[in-house]
This record gives sequence, C-alpha cells and structure tokens, in this order.
Amino acid sequence: MRKGLDLPQAIAEADRCLLCHDAPCSKGCPADTRPAEFIRKLRFRNITGAIRTIKENNILGGACGELCPTYRLCEKACSARFASQSRPEGADRPIPIGKIQRFLVEHSWQIGFRPLQKGAALSEAVAVVGSGPAGLSCAAELAKSGYPVTVFESRPEPGGVLRYGVVSYRFSLEFLRNEIRDVADLGVEFKCNHPIEGPAGAEALLKNGFRAVFLAPGTWAADTLAPRTQPIKGVFSSIDYLAALRDGRFREMADRIAGKTVAVIGGGSVAMDCVESAVRLGAGDVYLIYRRSYVQMPAEPDERIEAQQAGVHFLLLNQPVDYVIGRGRRLKGLKLVRTRLGAPDASGRRSPKPIRGSEWVLDCDVVIEAIGNRPVSDSPSWYPRVKLAGNHLIQVNPRTGRTSVRGIFAGGDIVRGPALVVQAVADGKTAARAIRRYLQG
Amino acid sequence: MAANIDLSVDFCGLRFKNPFLLSSSPVSNSAEMVERAFQAGWSGVVFKTLNSDRLPITHPSPRMHYVNYGGRPAMAYQNVEQISDRPLRHNLLEFLYLKKHFPDRPIVASIMGFFEDEWVYLAKACEDNGVDMLELNFSCPHMCIEGSGHKVGQAFHLLERFTAAVKRAVSIPVMAKMTPNITDMTEPALYAKKGGADAISAINTVRGISEIGREDWVPKPNVFGTGAISGTSGPAVKPIGLNFIASMARCRELALPLSGMGGIETWVDALEYLLVGATTLQVTSGIMHYGYRIVEDLVEGLSDYMALKGIGRVSKLIGRSLPHLQETDHFDLARQGIVQYDLDRCIGCGQCHIVCSDAAGQAVEWDAKRRRPRLIEDKCLSCMLCQAVCPVPGLITYKEMPSVWRRRETAVRDEGLENELKHEPFTKEGPHECVV
Repeated sequence: MRKGLDLPQAIAEADRCLLCHDAPCSKGCPADTRPAEFIRKLRFRNITGAIRTIKENNILGGACGELCPTYRLCEKACSARFASQSRPEGADRPIPIGKIQRFLVEHSWQIGFRPLQKGAALSEAVAVVGSGPAGLSCAAELAKSGYPVTVFESRPEPGGVLRYGVVSYRFSLEFLRNEIRDVADLGVEFKCNHPIEGPAGAEALLKNGFRAVFLAPGTWAADTLAPRTQPIKGVFSSIDYLAALRDGRFREMADRIAGKTVAVIGGGSVAMDCVESAVRLGAGDVYLIYRRSYVQMPAEPDERIEAQQAGVHFLLLNQPVDYVIGRGRRLKGLKLVRTRLGAPDASGRRSPKPIRGSEWVLDCDVVIEAIGNRPVSDSPSWYPRVKLAGNHLIQVNPRTGRTSVRGIFAGGDIVRGPALVVQAVADGKTAARAIRRYLQG
Repeated sequence: MAANIDLSVDFCGLRFKNPFLLSSSPVSNSAEMVERAFQAGWSGVVFKTLNSDRLPITHPSPRMHYVNYGGRPAMAYQNVEQISDRPLRHNLLEFLYLKKHFPDRPIVASIMGFFEDEWVYLAKACEDNGVDMLELNFSCPHMCIEGSGHKVGQAFHLLERFTAAVKRAVSIPVMAKMTPNITDMTEPALYAKKGGADAISAINTVRGISEIGREDWVPKPNVFGTGAISGTSGPAVKPIGLNFIASMARCRELALPLSGMGGIETWVDALEYLLVGATTLQVTSGIMHYGYRIVEDLVEGLSDYMALKGIGRVSKLIGRSLPHLQETDHFDLARQGIVQYDLDRCIGCGQCHIVCSDAAGQAVEWDAKRRRPRLIEDKCLSCMLCQAVCPVPGLITYKEMPSVWRRRETAVRDEGLENELKHEPFTKEGPHECVV
C-alpha cells in the first residue's frame, strides 16, 4: 500500500484549503463524509474533531480515502484547483481530500483516538448479510444507535470486496483490520464462515430472533467469455484470481504467473488491478485485451497510466472470441478479432465492430477474465419473496433501501451491480436509518 | 543589477556601500561568519554584543523557538540568547582580522556594560582595535539585573549617563539601540541624544511568548522545564519596527540618523524601512532563516526598483513616506467608497460572503446556483476584509463613490421594542479632548 501523508503534510494541504462557503467538495461525496467540515477542523488544529467528522459519517473513511476516485467526486469541484490559476502555490491542484481523509483515519489508530460510542443498548436485533462495505456501514450505523447487530459472512474473514477483491499493494490487510476493528468496537458481532444458504435462508433470519435484515452479499459470480461446462487450465475469473492473492493460495497463484504470458480481458478498474498485479508477480508479458479504445475504458485515468507504466501491453480494438486449448485442457492461446469503432451504443461509448477476416491468436499461458461481476446464481433462493430488478439484482426504494418484503432491506453491489466502495457505504447508511425508523415504528 | 544606481549611504560619517548590515546577534558571532557575509554582499556588521569577561556568559539550551503560521515556518523567532560568550580578546582579534581583510566594510561593535567604567572600558577596547562605530546595547530583553540591557532602555537617566560616559571616552560615532518594550521610543531616544548619541538603532526584539507546550505547559524554548518571556523577532514584528522608526523619524527634536530593523527579509521590507526614515538597515531573523545569500536579493531588488522608479540614489528614498503619515484625525471622512468585484475571474469559493456576513456589513449575498457573490453596494463598509480573504489577486478592488452617495444604516433588528427603550440623548456641551 502506498505511503500516506504524515501530519505536517496533511496540515500543509489543509492550509491551502479555501474553506469555501457552501462547499462543493462536501456535495461531491456520495456517503456524505463532509470533507469541507473535516478539512476545516484540521485547518484549525481540531484534529480529533476532524477524525470524528469522518468516522461519524463514514465508518470506512480510511478505505474510501485510499480507494475513492476522488478526482471525480469530492475533488472535482474543489475551488483550490481554480484558485491556483491565479496563485502559484499548488498549481492547478485540488486539495488532496482523499489523502487527508486517509491520513486522519490512520492518525486515529496511531494515537488511539476512538471518536465513536455505542448507543444505549436496545433490544431489537438486526442481521446483516455480507461484511463488505455496505454491510459494515449499515452495521456500524445501527450499532451506534444501540441495536445489537450480527454480521453473517460466508468467507473466513470480514471485509468482502475490501478483503478478497482488492490487491494488497492498493489496500493492505492491516489497514482493513484496523478499519473493521472500529466497527467491532461498536459491539457489532461478526459470524464468519457462516454463509446464508438454503431455501429462504435470509428470510428465515426474521423468524430467528432478528427484527430486520440487511442484504449486502455483493456480486461474486463472474461473467465469462463463453459458457463453459468444463474448466480450462490457465483461465481464471478476476474474482477467483484476486481472491487467491488475498487468501492462502497466494504462493500457488504466484507460481502460475511468474515468467508466463498473461492476458487480461476487460477495461475496468478490476482489469487494471489484474494486469498490474500480474506484472508484480513476475509475469513475462502481460496483455490487456480491450475491444474498444483507450478513452472508452471504464478504468480511472490514473489506473490506466499506472498499468502502462508498469509495462502492460494494451491491446486495444481486439475482441476475444474463443480459447485455444491444448492437451489436458491446458490453455494455449486466445483467439481475437480486430475491431473498429462504430456509432455509440446504449452506454454512450462508441461500439466495437469486428473486422471480418482479421482473426488471430495471441499465444498465452494464462487468461484472466475481468469482464464483469454478478450475483451468484443461487442467491435469489435465499430470499424468494424479495422482488428482483433483473440480472438477479435486488430491487429497492433508493431513498430507504427497503425491498418488497417488510423488514428486509438491501444495498451495495447486490442492488447497484458493481459500484464504488463509497456508494456501498452510502447504501449502508441509508438502509440503517430506514431500519431505525422501521424498528421505532 | 541595474547600472547607475547608487545604493551607498553615509551614516554618521561612515560610508556603507549599501544599507544592509548584519545586526548584533548569532549571525555576527565570529569573523569567519562575518567574512562570508561580506563576501555575499553585506556592507557592514554590528558585531555580537561584547562583554568584559567579568561575568561568565552561558547560553541557555535550547536557545530558540519559532512561531509558525499555517504551513509556513517561522513567521517569528523566539530566542533566549545572551550576549557574546566569547572572551573579549577573541572578539577583538576578530575585529583586527576583519579590518585587515575588509578595510572598506565598517565594523560596528555592540557593547554592554553594567556600570560606567565597564561601558568605557569596552568602548575604548573597541576603538583601539579598529572598530569604526559603537552600538550601545540598551535593549537586550533577557537581562534581569537592574541597569542592564532593556532595563537601561527603560530607565532614561541611566541611558543618558552611559551614553555620555562612552562619548567622553571615544571619538568614533556612537549609536544607541532601543528596546521596543516601551510605549514611546522618542523619549529614551532623546535622552540618548542628550548623552551625545550620534544615531539611534531600533528595534531590538519584542518581549513575547512564542508557544507553550501542550503536554507540559512549559513556554518554549523549554529550558529543562523552564520557559521565559523573551525576545520575539522576524516578519511578525515588522509593523512594530516600522512604527518606532517612523515615530522617531517624525520627531523634529530628535533629528538623528536611524538604523532600522525588525522583520526585514525582502527588498520590499527594506524599502518600507527606508521610506519611514531609516538610513541603514540591519537583519538577523531573515538570515537565521535563509542565510547570508538573501542580501543578493535585497541589493538587486532594491536597485532594480529604483531604476524603474528613476531614483538614482538610495538616500532619495529615506523618509519619503513621512509626509503621508498622519494621526487618524487627519483623514478626509467626506470621501467614501466601496469594493468592486471582477466576477469574470471569480472561482466561487464564497469566502467574501462569509466574512462580510460575520464581520462586516452583510453586503455580500450568495448566489448558490451560480456560486457567485452578489454585492449590495449601499451596505458595503469598504472594510476590505473580502479583499483580504479572496484567493484571486486583484479580483476585489476599491472604488471611490460620488459625494452624493450614502451608505445604508445598519438595520435595527426589531423596531417594535421602541416602547420598552430607556434612553435620553446626551446633551451636555464639552471640549473635543479628554478632560479629567
């Protein structure tokens, strides 16, 4: 994980802040982390107060500070960026809000400052399904109000995508444990290795002592290039590959990558994590296969640049068609067809049109598919009465997180499809407030 | 550097090739240091205050602290330095060295005694070893013994007596250095003049407290659990220094050449001291922070400024602000104005709205949709606070209004309370001055 700011750096950056009236940065945060408020507090050396502002409004303030694409959220409308056109200090540079936010949260751990308190104990228990950002956020918010909260997590450790879907050089396990400890300190109980399964398993929680349920299981099934009945040796989903780097299979995966030719399919943030980590694991050559061009990639600009600087070959305007499989179902290559861009499609981006007769084969040992995530296929069976939106996603009222079933709420990727951590945090808060209103009648 | 610009000044009959001297302080502690300062371009030195070896000098440890402002370090320094801790012999040897190698750079020796004989002894020792001028240290803020340092500067008869004793003993010019820890500096300066002083230098450091430890509550510098009210210097004290130099320069009765100091870092600071009447300028804190090299920018900046202004000699700048400097009762209150905003350059931070709402006339409304301020002209107090906080230089300017223009009165919150009001107008006639 890259080095964060230290106290003098954070203060120097806060001192550049213009302390705007009606501050645009605060309006840019989906989770309402209130950057204008915590930067002002830092500016006036109310450092503990700054930490309190962050943690009260965003229990994953540290993770968001590091992982948010701040340049298109809080920092986007930062007045300091415009001020620097007429003042030389910090030329054209917004206040690095994410970095300051991460620093303040780390600082709280360093000095042992705990800004949050458990609320007076209430009796109505709430179950949270999934310990990713949405689940953690909802659990913390309810625990602050005094509700007993139990988080059910199917994997061995809590954190969801922060634990099993992010690479360590971006977000360390130690950082995650600190941030989860802030949630646990509020009295939230974690039940790991505890999947919700079986027919109506999630709905059954309502009959087993829980007065409300928040569903935030995430999207852990991978889209694939083509339906497969049998696995191909050397082909991984990004979900499986990234999880392997964060659980006991790291050595095994590293051995499969080192010295090999690796191709990653996809143009999003996850694909960037896959290519860059493959380079770090010592792959011989790493290709990023994307069927459109550079500007259409969903990955953030800094991620794209980092990947290129790491030495990844961007193979643009190439659409994967099929795998070339050798003996023992071992991968030999990836069959591609060249594309040219046509008119914009439904996403607003110019669509790739295959060029007939341009098929070719990229010889490679490993392919990682980073095409997309979706809910695991049997998840609707845990909550058969809950109305779905399509693609197995759950339909909710966006202002409350309420599902079609009384007492059941949902948020995060299971509602939005793959989205930002900060959006999941926002969903958790929204649902927690609605649950509180629901429980108070 | 601009050609044909003469930065040299005559000060008490001594020629300085530019007005910039090291002041008596850690930056002028040894010939090795002063030599490098001369090489960098400083025209002269006021050497670190000599003592007669009678009382041992030990500097407290640590010696200094600082006041930071925002992200910028040291808007002020705080020191508990003492006078030179070197043997007098060593300091005199340093003078001989400097005179031998830099005969064109005047050496001013700062001295401090505790009684007449000691002052005289030090003065003669300096004169005998080639010193060109003396500075009498009546202002060190760290002296606790009555009749020494700033305690002399606050006891005017002593100041006069010591000055007179030194003047009788030596023929080189004598300058008295004043403490700013006093209300009116012209008064002690006049006593120094009565004692025969040829010039006045000011200011020494301002007594202050820079910072207090948040864990141990000990003021800094924390000398093993003890702090002291001590000397504050640096950019923060410049307004105080300018006040005292200007006040003395305006005093017709005093009419002595002045050596100004207090927060000089740039040629702009230097220019301001010249404009209020200083002839030579002394620097310590600026050097403590940035080193001797800043003299290059003092010299180059000032001479280029003079070239652009068409002023050939630095002496033409001395005291030029004084005709414009009056007491506040001289203002023309009939002329009024307001601010004006160049909104094309506005970046929408809204700080003008905040300060005008909370500290001025509530004249700046906020257009939340466009993120722009909207000025209500007849409520503007022309306080200029919005200009102070605006991040875009030159966006907010002052404009005079026509003589018929009137500012709106501040509104009474609730006129309905009129019937509860207890108020009789004050009707007695009286003079326009304080009568006891």
